[in-house]
Amino acid sequence: MKNRLEELRKQKGIKQEELAAILEVSRQTIGSLENGRYNPSILLAFKLARYFEISIEEIFIYEEEKEHE
Amino acid sequence: MNNNIMDNKTVNLQSKQKRMIDYITVSIGLALLVVGLYLIKALTDPKGVMLALPYVAIGIGCGTFGHGMGNIIQRKALKGHPEIARQIAIDQNDERNIAVGNRAKAKAHDMMVYVFGALMLSYALMGVGVLPILLLVGSYLFVIFYGIYYRVKYDKEM
Repeated sequence: MKNRLEELRKQKGIKQEELAAILEVSRQTIGSLENGRYNPSILLAFKLARYFEISIEEIFIYEEEKEHE
Repeated sequence: MNNNIMDNKTVNLQSKQKRMIDYITVSIGLALLVVGLYLIKALTDPKGVMLALPYVAIGIGCGTFGHGMGNIIQRKALKGHPEIARQIAIDQNDERNIAVGNRAKAKAHDMMVYVFGALMLSYALMGVGVLPILLLVGSYLFVIFYGIYYRVKYDKEM
């Protein structure tokens, strides 16, 4: 799933380590989220949305899978 | 305010209990180690189970002692470094780390089913006695049914 996490974090001017410490997750988790390799739990998604003061949909971009192509 | 006091009390009680468990573990390990060493020295002509028992006691004793002592040393080392302790707690509870660990365990379980199967077949073809094969089959089925039990349990819970 694509997301705007890296862009939002850079707008805030904080490092991955700092965001990880605020959300109480590892730095690797933030890195994987930004690369789109890992989809967060709904709790972490809410934590992120609350931290950036926007909705979850504004961070994570849901794309329906094109299964029948 | 009252909730915070209660939370702190609960955390202190839990940490005290963990400390106690570690000291008990170390004591049991040390006792097993001493008993094992004593049995090796004292038994002049061991027979049957007594041939292996002292070494089993030493082995389990060393493991138990090491486990308990490791926890005690870790707690003492982290006492003056709350930041490191916090980072360790974060890494242990990190949802991605937990997900990675669970996925790796699932893969290992899938592989274990094949390894157990191959081992059972090899033992049977090698003409090993019935008892080892039955023990192996029993262990294999126990693991499989353990998995089924938790599948049903989680299916009801989730």
